[in-house]
Amino acid sequence: MNSNRILEHPILEFSEGSDIPFSFDGKELVGKSGDTIASALHAAGVRVLGHHFKTGHARGFYCAIGNCSSCLMIVNGVPNVRVCVEPLKAGMVVNSQNDRGVLP
Amino acid sequence: MQKTADVAIIGGGISGLSIAFNLAQAGVKNIVVLEKNFLGNGATGRCGAGIRMQWGTELNCLLSKYSCEFFEQAQELFHNNIDIEFEQGGYLIGAGTDEEVEQFKRNVKLQNDLGIESVFLSPEEAGEIMPHLDITKIKAATFCHRDGHLNPFRTTEAYSEAARSLGVSIYEYTEVQDILLDGDKLKGVRTDKGDISAPLVVNAAGGYSKLIADMAGVDLPVYSQRHQIMVTEPVEAMQDPMFMGFSLNIYIQQVPHGSFIMGRSDDSEPTDLRLTSSWQFLEKMSETCTTLMPRLGQLKVVRQWAGLYNMTADAQPIYDEAPELPGFYHAAGFSGHGFMLAPVTGHVMSRKIMGEKADIDVSCLNVSRFKDGGLLPTESSVV
Repeated sequence: MNSNRILEHPILEFSEGSDIPFSFDGKELVGKSGDTIASALHAAGVRVLGHHFKTGHARGFYCAIGNCSSCLMIVNGVPNVRVCVEPLKAGMVVNSQNDRGVLP
Repeated sequence: MQKTADVAIIGGGISGLSIAFNLAQAGVKNIVVLEKNFLGNGATGRCGAGIRMQWGTELNCLLSKYSCEFFEQAQELFHNNIDIEFEQGGYLIGAGTDEEVEQFKRNVKLQNDLGIESVFLSPEEAGEIMPHLDITKIKAATFCHRDGHLNPFRTTEAYSEAARSLGVSIYEYTEVQDILLDGDKLKGVRTDKGDISAPLVVNAAGGYSKLIADMAGVDLPVYSQRHQIMVTEPVEAMQDPMFMGFSLNIYIQQVPHGSFIMGRSDDSEPTDLRLTSSWQFLEKMSETCTTLMPRLGQLKVVRQWAGLYNMTADAQPIYDEAPELPGFYHAAGFSGHGFMLAPVTGHVMSRKIMGEKADIDVSCLNVSRFKDGGLLPTESSVV
């Protein structure tokens, strides 16, 4: 499960967090405390976060600092959430976004 | 750069390009358009690009009807394949006061008499057209299904390409620095790339039209005021019409890309040609928008910008030859509606310049009306 996590880093230290359950496209996954939604998905091996509304091309984790809008997903029904900077919370319902987003 | 022209048009915005296109179409040769920046860098590229026929004065109804009908057939009239994205989702105009309700009833009567198919609606009927509108905030509404909005950049390109294909020379990054006179006679223009002698000069400089008039030493009673717009992230289509309100102080549309674009007016906005953005606008605009359309409060704002309204005392344009300087023409003072009026601006100005009769009599839009106490009834249907 944690094979995609950065465990050793020359500057940063990562403490072992507690488990945070959430769902992605209907699948039950587990992240760690301190994760963003994107880091939890990345650790779980998820690489495709959605598809471009016009071209249908796969969109993934890119800038990781909330700038590029490549990682927009639907979180708890709200579209266009930048999951790279959104902290993961227990019970979050995360879904791939393949359109421009529909406002709830 | 060429040294002579038959007509020199100052301003590469939608007005100047439309005048050039209409003149060229009518057979006038050797037309130059001079733009100090890139085409559409002024108010043209900064505007809300709404097109509506719902006005409160007969003349504005007729002018905008001409323009709307032009945009409906633009593709054939331009003879090019540039899609101007004219989305006719209608204009829904909300009344916020009892006075406005009465005014709107008169407006609809006037519009219907002129062949404009607008209707008067109850708040509930307005809510059917725009479900995310909080109908408790409006007292009534009017709607015209042929109104809409288009893409100002594509439209600028469509006009400029059509004008070029008819032989018009367009010089971008060419700044007019002076109007050349020979005694009290018009001789031409001085630009930072050289002089052009021209017997006819058109001032279509939008927010900067007064600076150009000053160069010519002629009086142009206009001033420019900053107006701001903001745009949100895109979402799936959820609003067909442009919504606007005058006392409600808003216009808001969802463009084909999915973004919402919105603006409002503020009397305290500066009149010194600045184009900066203010946080006050961001705050007030967000409040105005989310009060009327609470669902849109979930949208993130991605950008804001500013442009210049070129204002006159009666909020109606000036289409005239300067009385002090024969050959020097003004197409200015559009008061926030220059974009939607561009087709009719090109038509009436080209006819005036050629000494021919236009389809619409705009003689009352002369420059002398501000001196003679001949102000037109002020148009109340403005944001």
